[in-house]
Amino acid sequence: MSNKRTAPAPPGAPALTGPRLARRILAAWLPWWPTERLARRRPEARTLPFVTVAESRNRLIIDAANPLATRAGLTSGMPLADARAVVPDVVVQPADPTGDALALESLARWADRFTPRVMPDARDTIFLDIAGCTRLFGGEEALTLSLRAALENFGLTVRLALADTPGAAWALAHYGDEDPAVVATGTGPSGLSDALARLPVAALRLSADVVDALVSFGLDRISALSVLEPIELIRRFGMEPVRRLQQALGQVDEPIIPLRPPPPREAQRAFAEPISRPADIRAALDGLLDDLCLSLSRTGEGARRLQLVCHRTDGDRRTLTIGTSRPLRRKKPLMGLFAEKLDRVEPGFGIDEIVLATDVVETIDELQTDWSGEAVGGRHTADEEELADLLDRLGNRFGFGRIGRPVPQQSWLPERAAPHRPPLAGPEVRHGVSPAAARPAVATDWPEDRRRPLRLLSPPEPIEVVTLESGGPLPRFRRQGRLHRLRAVEGPERLECEWWREEAPRRDYYLVEDEMGCRYWLFREGACDSAGTGDPGHGQPVTAPRWFLHGLFG
Amino acid sequence: MLTRKAAVALAYTGFVRYLVGPMTHVPKTKQNIAATLRRTIRGIEEAGAPDDKARLPLGVSRIDRALPGGGLRLGCIHEVAGDEAATGFCAALLARAVANGRRRGGARAGRTGALAGRTGARAAGTGAQAGRGGLRSGDRQGALLWLAQGDDLYAPGLVRFGIEAGQLLVVSRLRRRDDMLWAMEEALRCRAVRGVVAEAGEVGLAAGRRLMLAAEGTGVLGLVLSRRDGRRRGGKEVRGGAEVRAAVSRWRVTAAPGGPPIPDGRQSPEADGTRWRVELLHCRGGRPAEWDRICFASRDVQ
Repeated sequence: MSNKRTAPAPPGAPALTGPRLARRILAAWLPWWPTERLARRRPEARTLPFVTVAESRNRLIIDAANPLATRAGLTSGMPLADARAVVPDVVVQPADPTGDALALESLARWADRFTPRVMPDARDTIFLDIAGCTRLFGGEEALTLSLRAALENFGLTVRLALADTPGAAWALAHYGDEDPAVVATGTGPSGLSDALARLPVAALRLSADVVDALVSFGLDRISALSVLEPIELIRRFGMEPVRRLQQALGQVDEPIIPLRPPPPREAQRAFAEPISRPADIRAALDGLLDDLCLSLSRTGEGARRLQLVCHRTDGDRRTLTIGTSRPLRRKKPLMGLFAEKLDRVEPGFGIDEIVLATDVVETIDELQTDWSGEAVGGRHTADEEELADLLDRLGNRFGFGRIGRPVPQQSWLPERAAPHRPPLAGPEVRHGVSPAAARPAVATDWPEDRRRPLRLLSPPEPIEVVTLESGGPLPRFRRQGRLHRLRAVEGPERLECEWWREEAPRRDYYLVEDEMGCRYWLFREGACDSAGTGDPGHGQPVTAPRWFLHGLFG
Repeated sequence: MLTRKAAVALAYTGFVRYLVGPMTHVPKTKQNIAATLRRTIRGIEEAGAPDDKARLPLGVSRIDRALPGGGLRLGCIHEVAGDEAATGFCAALLARAVANGRRRGGARAGRTGALAGRTGARAAGTGAQAGRGGLRSGDRQGALLWLAQGDDLYAPGLVRFGIEAGQLLVVSRLRRRDDMLWAMEEALRCRAVRGVVAEAGEVGLAAGRRLMLAAEGTGVLGLVLSRRDGRRRGGKEVRGGAEVRAAVSRWRVTAAPGGPPIPDGRQSPEADGTRWRVELLHCRGGRPAEWDRICFASRDVQ
């Protein structure tokens, strides 16, 4: 277990174990990580002083500042009001520590192209254990260069350091003079100790109060610590400085815990002999769905979109895509959705390999099920599931955009009053919630005192209104060459345009009935000051009014 | 499976029994015989219906009286032709289908409540309460589906025929007939659906049979809407009624003038409500009929 190079443990120190294998740790420190990350989305934040702020005791405090802001004197912990006084045009955005951490994790996942052992550390550092991987990149130096180039390409400033232990690499990345700082491999604790000697004690990743205490004793360099007996340090400052020092020198193991790879969201089958019969393809798909549903159930997710790729022996491939209206990981409905399309797979001379992958997944709210696997909660859930299955089938054949639920929207303009929403959007699909409970989402109703047609023509159809007789405003109108004599008129109902959206003329709507009993919804567009009552006007029409047929009544 | 010979023999026996029956057995009146025959025929016609009582009353007594069983049969398809009035008619039928389902759900909950009640004296009260509770919590509407050819269906206009906001699911721009029929069949097979309207025009015998089979298992109301103007022009029937259809009933609903014309056009079209001319062109187990000035808007009914 113990490495030959490891020096004998000093007396009084806790039980030590040396590193198991030679390691080579590359530490990448991103000094401006929070601001540079956010500035990727905001171009103005790259050229102006930019800070992120967090709320603390009812004040906005600067959390992170970019180089320009730092140069202007804005530092972390300064109230935003003071910062604005110093730099009036400072760009401000709320701090997002969770987002920073998630982004750092995804950056670490990206970095697994260099080595599989990558670990994000603290807020702004990534450790890469590149032992054994350097040959693929042409040496340590080339790997370091290509990592730096890639990160700078992302718009990130980075400081790199390479050493045998994470602690030493961290210290050199943060406090070293050179960039990249490299400690030759195999030097052991003494070599590392030399490399770290001149660095401040803060380079040991100590908490701030320990650093303060050490500095107040005059122990401001790492070299000052290493000459002291560990037992003395432990007595006065606790375990932390000694542990950190031993970690940095490689006397105590500090593991790199690689990120776990994301769970597979695809399943594949390769065949010894190409398959081509529909029954075989179906059987293969059946197995693939089993695998995929199992892996989705481990993560509590369901697929919203699935892709089946069939690789044929002639190198061609056929792709089937299905979508679902809600996250799904039950095999039967998924199989049903694919079954509709399976005949589109032309096997040709045969299929070598089938890959089933999910593009879009969402988490599923888990349901309590009874012994038979049926969801507890009565028929509501069963019905909702069945309806969702139906909508899936329809949506996969016709496109989900064509299925809609018209819901009321607060607008007087008829064409805007009933937008189509996705059929299962909103709280109504939430499992276990009865539709009645979710009803308030569409609680507002269309106004009942207004007559609205059954069919709305879009766009409105221009018609010719023949006002021959002087008795009424609309004695007859001509539509598609056919003359409709009117026997009754109701109106006008005046609707103004929504000026905050667009400038459009106002409309006067009339409900008319022709001799056959058919009812039409006409409107007159254009400036006409007489209210359409047939009175010879209080004002003259500025432009000739235009007439449109907008709807048909039952 | 009856062989042909056996079938002929059976029919012959039946015929003979019909002839000699009145002489050998208790004499029957003409009305009795007619009623028995009618029952038998209806039994034959409606074999396979999921629930013999699954009828949807239209809520207009004049029409309901003419329909066998007092309403439209659920779990099968009906054809409706006509102008926009037919659209309104379909909407009204869908709304009634939902109300009907709700009522039945409530009644079922009431019965269970009564069974659960321990003492006879309190059973009725419990049952009634559970029935009300069933109406509220068992507000299992069932979905309404409208398979539209274009995208001109306007939901705010359907409200006055009883379809609430957000209740209807619309699949629009189904221009191909095959797509329309496929979608309707899928919808009819779904238990969570209460009613389907497909603007499929006329449905032939084979396609209609498929739809009927799909609807039979679930009890969904299927309406096939033909938007071709079924109006009589120049005294000539536009559509012949002779061809064989699978639909249980065929309707033609057209707009009718609201009242006597008024020369100066001052009268409001809505003064006396929406009036339609409703024609029952064909009805299995019933007779063709027609009614004038029928009002279906929800506020005017009941």
